[in-house]
Amino acid sequence: MAHHLEGSRNSCALHGALQLFEAIDGVVPVIHSTSGCGVQHYLGVTRMSGGNDPFGSPPVSSSNIGQKHVVFGGGSRLREQLKNTVKVVQADLYAIVTGCSTEMVGDDIAAMAREGRDQNWPVIYTNTPGFSGDVHHGYHLAVKALIEQLPDIWKERDKVPSGLVNIWGIIPNQDPFWRGNLQELGRLLEGIGLVPNLLLGSEQSVASWQQIPGAVLNLVLSHWGELPARLLADRYATPSITLDSLPIGTAISTLLRRLTELLKLDTIRTEAFISREESRLNFQFARLADIYFHAGFQREFVLVGESAQVVAIGEFLGKSLGLLPRTLIITDNPPDSVHQSLITRLASIVPGYDTEVIFSEDRTDITEFIRASAAQLVLGSSLEREVSEESGVPFFALSFPLADRIVLERSYAGYRGATTLLEDIGTAILAFNRDCHLC
Amino acid sequence: MSPLRPKAPRSREKRLDTLGAWLGTVSVASKEFAGDEIPQRIRTFAQSRNDDLLYALRILAGIRDSVTIIHGPRGCVASSLHHLAAGGNNTRWVVTNLDERDTIMGADGKLRKSVVAMYRRYHPSVVFIVGNPVIAINNDDIQSVVEELNEELELPIVPVYVTGFSSQNAVSGYDTALHSLMKYLAGETSAAEKKEFLNLLSVAEHPQDRKEAQHLLEELGITLNVIPDDSTIDLFRLAVAARASIPLCPDASEYLGAILQQKYGVPLIDVTRPVGFGGTGRWLRSIATFLGKEDAAEELHRRKAVETARQLGSFSLKGVKVYISLSSANAFSVLGLVEELGGEVAGLTITHLDRLHIRHLEELVARNPSLQIHVSDGQAFEEISILRTHSPDLYIGDSTHVGQVARLGIPVVSLESLALVGYSGVVRVARRIKTALANGSYGDSLAKVNSPYQDAWFRRSHNWHIKQEVK
Repeated sequence: MAHHLEGSRNSCALHGALQLFEAIDGVVPVIHSTSGCGVQHYLGVTRMSGGNDPFGSPPVSSSNIGQKHVVFGGGSRLREQLKNTVKVVQADLYAIVTGCSTEMVGDDIAAMAREGRDQNWPVIYTNTPGFSGDVHHGYHLAVKALIEQLPDIWKERDKVPSGLVNIWGIIPNQDPFWRGNLQELGRLLEGIGLVPNLLLGSEQSVASWQQIPGAVLNLVLSHWGELPARLLADRYATPSITLDSLPIGTAISTLLRRLTELLKLDTIRTEAFISREESRLNFQFARLADIYFHAGFQREFVLVGESAQVVAIGEFLGKSLGLLPRTLIITDNPPDSVHQSLITRLASIVPGYDTEVIFSEDRTDITEFIRASAAQLVLGSSLEREVSEESGVPFFALSFPLADRIVLERSYAGYRGATTLLEDIGTAILAFNRDCHLC
Repeated sequence: MSPLRPKAPRSREKRLDTLGAWLGTVSVASKEFAGDEIPQRIRTFAQSRNDDLLYALRILAGIRDSVTIIHGPRGCVASSLHHLAAGGNNTRWVVTNLDERDTIMGADGKLRKSVVAMYRRYHPSVVFIVGNPVIAINNDDIQSVVEELNEELELPIVPVYVTGFSSQNAVSGYDTALHSLMKYLAGETSAAEKKEFLNLLSVAEHPQDRKEAQHLLEELGITLNVIPDDSTIDLFRLAVAARASIPLCPDASEYLGAILQQKYGVPLIDVTRPVGFGGTGRWLRSIATFLGKEDAAEELHRRKAVETARQLGSFSLKGVKVYISLSSANAFSVLGLVEELGGEVAGLTITHLDRLHIRHLEELVARNPSLQIHVSDGQAFEEISILRTHSPDLYIGDSTHVGQVARLGIPVVSLESLALVGYSGVVRVARRIKTALANGSYGDSLAKVNSPYQDAWFRRSHNWHIKQEVK
């Protein structure tokens, strides 16, 4: 039985589905629910991840059901809303998503989507009541709807470029750096001769999703990407590589080499690419060295975020930057089946050092763990700022929710993301030291 | 029967004929509200808008030393992150996190556990239990949890029965929250003896707006008890002993003022919102007349007005066509401010229109009968269509879609986090307007991004999709 939550950061399934659909150019979600669901999403999710989606404002279509629809059913209201959405809002694809109220009333959403398709409107649907789960569940539902229903709408497929790789498991907004991270990953895949199918973010459209079946590989970058990879293995027998995260820094070279071997790419090209990227990063490490030692960068830290972020950032700081992962707090509720492997992996980042791994999404619990850790650097969401200030340690916000940062194309992934992360955490430590001298 | 007897007040639609969708001139609006029967309007296409739950949370965010438990599924608490980020947040946000099984079997056990856990963790002075669509549809038994635990924990537990669907107008959520706050915190009876202080009714105001109003009144030697913003629970009981109540916004605090007057015999001073030179002066004068302090108020207004005029310097909106899109009371008062500054109001979008606004409509009919009023909360597509035909020189708004407006190349001033009350508000708003008009280059950059709307929509009337509700 689900437990009550304080300061929740994982919102609900409806909001997770909205995040996914809004991250694809030309997809317009049609919310069938009470009027406030879209506004909650806007205030509590979209505006808390560093920058809005390009429409700005809450989602552009919502049926806003009233008392009458709760009593007599809201199917006809959805029919009317869908018909008029097509008239008012441009889209390549309309995606009906539902809220708790219309699911409890029992509106037949599949029938409404079918009616829309009979009119030749490109419509898919997914049932996303908030009581069914959190944003990650919503991501699953939306991805599943796209994978299963798009082939019914467009039977013809464009020719798919060879070496196409689908990317899964990066959740828009829930990872505030998703756009930049996907772009960096795309650059790296291109660097070794692959064609990335990023699926979300700039220039990613319904056409990208139509190419999914023709990919040579599904690259899974968090536990949340396993479901789509499984669906695609069943449908199209596409193989997949599954990682816990999108690595930062030199750790990405392992992935690039693995892809090269598996997909029989040009080894010489890959090695040349890796060597060029690594030498640039090593150069930046060297440039940082004086300040690193004088300013006391080497400290015990707490890191709070989604499992993929905690793995990537924790390992980069622990394995390449000499920092000590004191307490790692995972907030995205991965299923129990993966807890042990995450614990094993994270607890051994720095051999011989005692790292504590915690799973929690409750703000008060997290605050207590941070207090108890006595760490000298806190990396987390804006919700952790207060306890860091109270503890008198430097703080840097890098996970959802981000209330006081702008994130547009910034990346904490791959080689370039490593440099950016060094810049940002370093700046936070220097600013803290300066303020300390003043006080 | 006491007006506080029911679980929740009647919606604004039922009490005040509130409309959430409407388009027409002020003279037609005025005629419509002169009649007895005002048919409700509904949209056959809609975009997300605020609901009573979101508005209730705005009030609860301001009550000190409290815990707010949203008894519902996890997404209903999402906007609490916005309150945490915006600052001025006094409560702790908890959601009971109902799952599918709870929606079938009911979950009052879960609620009871949450209340007890939060009580043990924080020992707050009050716990709020907030409804939502799931609880309203399921008819979960909140009331018995409230009664049992109130006795067991000796703690005020206040249920707020918002539903998310029973009113088309989010402003009803203010009423529902204020109804519960008074019902559970103000006591059964009116005060035996009235005191000298006055209530300042500040409902979900910008903290700086509240402070500006307080300063002005304190300059007149008035002692204040401010509710509900940033107040403690004791202040609600105290409020019933006040000499009178002063609304900072007559629209948002309408229900609170009425309850204090009807149930507790605290007179309500009839004012409009203190925005702009004239508006602030009128507000002070109405209060001063009640207290017999006319001369002091007149002197204060003169002094502040001169000082403000000096700060404004040569600033003028002469020749500037301004479109205003704000919550209703703000819209009518900012309209006055724009006209004082020499600007011309090209049109209005207001969140709701009802009997509380008849006075404004009548004034406007006398001055500018063909002025267009558009009633909408969050319906960006309607506004964009209207703005394309009006092409104003400036847009003043506080909505969630100002970014879409800016793409039309219209300079935008957002009042979402800008304090506008009183004399200092005039200077602040004027400064923002000045900078917005001075450089439109960001608007030019935005204009290069495509519109989400079909061209066909812009060729139709702005309100073809708004129909009279069939009862």
